Amino acid sequence: MQTDDMTQETSNTGMLLIFRLDGEAFAISVTWVHEILDPQRATPVPNAGPFAPGLINVRGAVVPVIDIRHRLGLAPGASEDDGRMIVFEHPIECTPQKLAFCADSVEQVIEYDRSSMEQVPQLGAAWPQAYLRGAIRDNGELVILLETETTFAPAADRSVAA
Amino acid sequence: MIEQATEAFVLEARELLAELEDSFLELEDDVTSARIDEIFRALHTVKGSGSMFGYTALSRFTHHFENAYDLVRDGALQVERDLIDLSLAARDLMVSFLDLGGDGPEAEALLVSPEVSAIVERLSNLTGTSEESIEAPGKVEADAGETAAPAPTGVQTFLIRFTPAQDALRNGMRPDLLMRELADLGKIQVSLDVSAVPRLTELDPTEAVLGWIVELETAEGREAVEDVFIFADDADLSITEMTPEISVEETLATEPPATDSAEPAVAQVPAAAAPAPSQAAAQPKPEPKAKLPTAAKSESIRVTSSRLDDMMDALGELVIAQARLEAVSEEISDPTLETVVEDVQRLVMGLRDATLSIRMLPIESVFGKFRRVVRDLSADLGKDIRLITEGGETEIDKNVIDRISEPLVHMIRNSVDHGLETAEDRQAQGKTPQGSLWLSACQEGGEILVSIEDNGKGLDAEAIRARAIERELIDPEAELSEQDLHHLIFEPGFSTAKVVSSVSGRGVGMDAVKTTIDALGGSIHVLSRAGQGTRITLRLPVTMAIIDGLRVRLGESVYVIPLSAVEECVEMDEAESKRDSGRSLLQIRDEMVPYLELDALFGQTAKPDAGRRVVVVRVDGMRAGLVVDDILGQSQTVIKGLSAYHKDIPGLGGATILGDGRVALIIDVATLIRWAETRRDQGPRKAA
Repeated sequence: MQTDDMTQETSNTGMLLIFRLDGEAFAISVTWVHEILDPQRATPVPNAGPFAPGLINVRGAVVPVIDIRHRLGLAPGASEDDGRMIVFEHPIECTPQKLAFCADSVEQVIEYDRSSMEQVPQLGAAWPQAYLRGAIRDNGELVILLETETTFAPAADRSVAA
Repeated sequence: MIEQATEAFVLEARELLAELEDSFLELEDDVTSARIDEIFRALHTVKGSGSMFGYTALSRFTHHFENAYDLVRDGALQVERDLIDLSLAARDLMVSFLDLGGDGPEAEALLVSPEVSAIVERLSNLTGTSEESIEAPGKVEADAGETAAPAPTGVQTFLIRFTPAQDALRNGMRPDLLMRELADLGKIQVSLDVSAVPRLTELDPTEAVLGWIVELETAEGREAVEDVFIFADDADLSITEMTPEISVEETLATEPPATDSAEPAVAQVPAAAAPAPSQAAAQPKPEPKAKLPTAAKSESIRVTSSRLDDMMDALGELVIAQARLEAVSEEISDPTLETVVEDVQRLVMGLRDATLSIRMLPIESVFGKFRRVVRDLSADLGKDIRLITEGGETEIDKNVIDRISEPLVHMIRNSVDHGLETAEDRQAQGKTPQGSLWLSACQEGGEILVSIEDNGKGLDAEAIRARAIERELIDPEAELSEQDLHHLIFEPGFSTAKVVSSVSGRGVGMDAVKTTIDALGGSIHVLSRAGQGTRITLRLPVTMAIIDGLRVRLGESVYVIPLSAVEECVEMDEAESKRDSGRSLLQIRDEMVPYLELDALFGQTAKPDAGRRVVVVRVDGMRAGLVVDDILGQSQTVIKGLSAYHKDIPGLGGATILGDGRVALIIDVATLIRWAETRRDQGPRKAA
């Protein structure tokens, strides 16, 4: 996977996984994506705060479930039972950590050209800029590329229960 | 392959260096020839294999060191404190060389650094050798060796036939380095014996098929030549000295000439000597034999700890899978299946115990390092302190060992710095001038007790109280027992500024110690008498990978409470919880036990069903009840650490996977109760 990433860096194109939240198309680099699962009921972690409220079992590993909707300032999803769970690896303090988050649906993997990436217009975007890397167009539709570094960083908003 | 062998060398060298440190410290107390031999062998091994595995700078430095111990071995040099100091310093430099990861500009730079030069000079002064002889390894050895071999004067010519064992290259042997070492000894002429080389199609490049025939002109003597090959002991090797007039061809055809007077046997065995090429190498001269690393000390193999971790992970998965199997079997309830499940369970438990036992290490491995800490520290502080260790053979999980070493160092520093007095102060109080520090370990059930005891001045309860009030850790009105006051030293923010010294006040106080011990699921107990000393006892779990856990239900969630903390389970007296007096005490027999309602602490909506249970746990010597909805049973629990997202949440010690595949959280009783206390204190403030 690492080499994969390297070649992407040099070839200036990358592969993206597109998923939807409230009808909007979002994307993350496919490089670190492990698997797509049917949603599972997460074990709630008491006093964990809204960003990483639960844990699931992904083939023997305990994986934190991230509430990406909360971070992007979206309303809570209708139901946990719909949609798909994306499991991917994210380095935290240099050690890869498996994470999962829920999307309404997972669409496809597309190839994109880094040079075609645009700034997300400040106006009209409801999501905090810090979590956005840019936007690309896929068949005329705007796809928001998430900045995984910040989007999945252990939160400052985690309630250090006190 | 080479990397692997190098890795093995580094591993071995590190072990040897750790042992060396111990040996030097022991040597200080008790000089025995066995110990000196051991030191010499260790140095020799590092030197020898160092040059084979690309650590020649280390090897060259070690050479000086080895010379000194050669003299010690011969009784030409006395073991004195000076030598021990020097040895410890030199050993530390060897570690530095090892840390640099082999030869390179950095290692070269270190070799000529003032630090190293100073040590080398002191070593040379001891051995009375000049720089030149140091640059020529072997000579000093030959001179000082007890073999009574007449020191070879002048130049000798050796014929060396060297055929490595077939798998030698795979084991990391580097013939090129050996040849280079030979070249360092004198003038060499190398020819290759290619008779064993197969056809190209059959050639396995990882196999050693070449033979080397070397004619070496050297003034270093036979031993220096043998030393080059000391680690190639499975190779076919013959070293014969040639009288100048005999050419290579002739020597090969006839028996080796008898010029080495130390080994007349070679000469007297006609013909047989030549076809038995390992003759010379196998000459059981007492010295080289003693120098060879005793490979078969015990029947053990070297395994990197990461492999053990992998094995432990796999075992964890197996335990989880087995729990799942059990759950399924219960559902199906088929007698045949149940028998199989029982068998599997038994086997898994056996495997678990075996695996855990592999990971157990004697705690001596950390104790050893403290001898040095105490020695250096007491010297720095001008105190006379003796460290006495007991129960070093007590075995404890490697992970636990790795993590307690830091807190132990901290506590020892504290004892040496604050606890034990100077010789004058001690004498003024009628104590022995030498302070003592005991470090002991023993096993008690599923726990290991490690205690650090000093016969110093003890903790000053009143000073602690004053300080705790100053730091607003306790209410000025609070009435605390002496015991409670002593435990305040573990409060965050207690140890700072005023008592900071260069030794122990480095910003991390005893609270860091407590945090680590808590994280390990252990506890700390302090006992101190003013003027007499302090004993701090750590209770630690033997292992932390798999524990026995009690599964409890709280609403729809299942939690696991480590069984080691559980004392008993009782019914919840609901009349008690309906009380609104704010009191949360439970009468168990004739004792009042405070209790915590987990659902409230965990922010779950309380559904006070009848028949709730109380799990009574013991933390820091105190009993407390945890109210849960139900108790589900007891099971093996594989602890999985929490991620960065959750690891700071108080009261949670990890997660595990249940038989039905769900994730359950493991309760860390100690942090839970402490956190609950601070929460309560932040409410209506009242004295504890």
